[in-house]
Amino acid sequence: MNANPLGITQGPGEGPHEFIFVTPDYDELAKIGEFVYYQAAVDGELRRVLGRITGRTPVRLLPNGLLADPGVPPDQVASMVGYTGAGSELFEISVNVLGYYHELLGDFVNPRLPPRLGTPIHIADSAMLTHVLSKRAIGEVGGAHIGSLLSRPKDEVPVVLDLTAITSTHLAIIASTGSGKSYLAGVLLEELMQPLNRAAVLIVDPHGEFDTLMEMEGARAFADPQDGYQPRVEVIRPENVKVRINSLSLGDLRYLLPDLSERMHYVLSKAYGLVQRKFGEKWTLAQFRLAVREADEQLSGGPKSPEEQAKSLSEGDDYGTAGAVIWRLNSRLESSSIFDDMRSMSLDELFRPGQCTVLQLNEVDQREQQVVVATLLRRLWLARMQTEKKEAVRGDETYLPYPAFVLVEEAHNFAPASADLVSSQILKQVLSEGRKFGVAVGLISQRPGKLDSDVLSQCMTQFILRIVNPIDQARVAESVESVGRDLLGELPALSRGQAIIAGAAVNTPLLCRVRQRITAHGAEDVDAPSRWRAWFDRDEAAWEDRDQALPVESDRGRNKLFKT
Amino acid sequence: MIGKLVKSNSHTDYICQIYGTGEVESPPKADAYAFGSFVRIPLGEDAGALIGIVYDTMLLNPEFGTLGPRLSPEPDLAVFSPDYLAEKVTLVGIKAVGMVDGAGSVTQGVPPLAAHIDAPIVALDDAGVRAFHQMPDGRVQIGYAPVLLGQAHPLARHLLMCVLDRLRMLFPEAAAHLDVVRHELTWQAYLGPLGGNARGAR
Repeated sequence: MNANPLGITQGPGEGPHEFIFVTPDYDELAKIGEFVYYQAAVDGELRRVLGRITGRTPVRLLPNGLLADPGVPPDQVASMVGYTGAGSELFEISVNVLGYYHELLGDFVNPRLPPRLGTPIHIADSAMLTHVLSKRAIGEVGGAHIGSLLSRPKDEVPVVLDLTAITSTHLAIIASTGSGKSYLAGVLLEELMQPLNRAAVLIVDPHGEFDTLMEMEGARAFADPQDGYQPRVEVIRPENVKVRINSLSLGDLRYLLPDLSERMHYVLSKAYGLVQRKFGEKWTLAQFRLAVREADEQLSGGPKSPEEQAKSLSEGDDYGTAGAVIWRLNSRLESSSIFDDMRSMSLDELFRPGQCTVLQLNEVDQREQQVVVATLLRRLWLARMQTEKKEAVRGDETYLPYPAFVLVEEAHNFAPASADLVSSQILKQVLSEGRKFGVAVGLISQRPGKLDSDVLSQCMTQFILRIVNPIDQARVAESVESVGRDLLGELPALSRGQAIIAGAAVNTPLLCRVRQRITAHGAEDVDAPSRWRAWFDRDEAAWEDRDQALPVESDRGRNKLFKT
Repeated sequence: MIGKLVKSNSHTDYICQIYGTGEVESPPKADAYAFGSFVRIPLGEDAGALIGIVYDTMLLNPEFGTLGPRLSPEPDLAVFSPDYLAEKVTLVGIKAVGMVDGAGSVTQGVPPLAAHIDAPIVALDDAGVRAFHQMPDGRVQIGYAPVLLGQAHPLARHLLMCVLDRLRMLFPEAAAHLDVVRHELTWQAYLGPLGGNARGAR
């Protein structure tokens, strides 16, 4: 505990849980976001009530006239006119009361009693903060050491998240481009794969930038010499992403097939019912095509006679509804490398404790990406539900006896605010009910303004990095209620690698300096100017000259051959 | 003794005429009634005394501006007109800031009793100043500061700063406390009039 107080309480602040203290702050400790405390008797016990600094205003402002000449220090001018107190600046510091830390509850309890006038305010020491800010300690099972408190020297107050909270109540990483969201996700994944946690993780990677996590496989930092644990990293390249056609729902098919008319919708849904009745769950595309024809015929009142077919052809209906649906099915499903009658990615290969699966979708059409994610989440959801309800047993395709965590990059493409996609529906379901069955998702987005607000508000742990766009800021403010407006005001001022962490995984919202990654970062920007220069430095220019060169004329040359 | 009480403007505002040459055996030196000096005004037998601070000095010359005929030049007056009384005097304003009763008990702020006309004014020595400012529990108290500042006298802040400087010397153990008040007054006295924005002074 610091013997000398930092300042003295002046009075109440703007809100009911705010107060103001005044300090000369000689050592410049009263930074915004810093933690301070006062002592108060609560239920007969002396408690340290913690608060976070939200504002800092100088109390004594020199007359503007004294600042007239930039070359003359104003304190010297003040001294010249007789003011001998130069350097005795005072600051009004506003503080948001968090409360005292209750060991049994593991949370802060607000005493609802602001400090009295004149109460000394102390800066919270690092040992105290280490104990009360994070729910876990470094080296504890279920802890994720993500970085250190921004207002303190590096690594002085470690920020250790509670992975139990993250993997049951979901998380969101929100940031502008280039502010370090993929880097932060990398740090989080490293922690998930540590020997203490050994998570079953799948990353939906639309940019193909997480393959550097492969380095975890051989790294000593991730190995457990006691039982030989070593994390596995499976990178599924876009060409290996497979979705079995029979795992597509009717909604998926409707979403995938372009420009369906009302009748086509009807035929499609009838065919979907037919194929499931006839062939069970393991139907193929060919069987579905048959079902489409049959459904169309049922609608038309039986097979068409040659005359009817000739009539429909003469009317310009070349294929009929069935033909049109089949044509669309073929163009979408048959020509795609993703959809397959037989092959799919089995759940127990995708999700396995101690394994990080990177699902690269960087060469996949966006609609197909959405369907891939939707089918995968749906299968995962079903498997976890059936396993927990003991409806699936070992050996079943839907048996998955451990929780799973899915991290979705570019989440605004999978649950946009403007549309209700196939992936939005299952994401919402997982977000609202996943806790019961051990399915958790982490959403990463650079455009929270485009992300569905219901989806965002159900992620109970938030990592918010720098956001400059006011629309995005507003969306964060309305969806993330646990972050106070004082911290949201910091959003544009955050530097790369600095994050606001709030929600269920920490005891109170805090500003964090993200730790350095053990594995390399895979999303570095392309340094175009140096690459352009390098082109001249290497021998590409020489190759180019050679390719463009005209043939050398010689005595045996072709030109001479045709000369008369 | 430095002089006698000749006038009062209010319950706490007195005018003292400083003894001049010939009035007392040894007239007071100028530093005995300097700006910010503490004085004692006895109230009579066993009634204690008022404690005051010199806050202003006025030089009174009744002949100033009198350009009428004279019988002899000023240096020769003592020879040719031995009954002529010199009436040039130094007056000081004294602000009563408290009192010490007959039992030695101190009251700071507006004193309940008033002084008598012609009461002698005595300079207060360091021991007297210490006794007036030290509470029974040892704390230093300047309970009259609001009374001084509330007078709207242009020199009120400077007067209090003088007092604080003297107290700082007499009570080195209370220097930190006294400095807090001193700093605030310095800001108000020096940079306030120049347009300094002291938000804390609300």
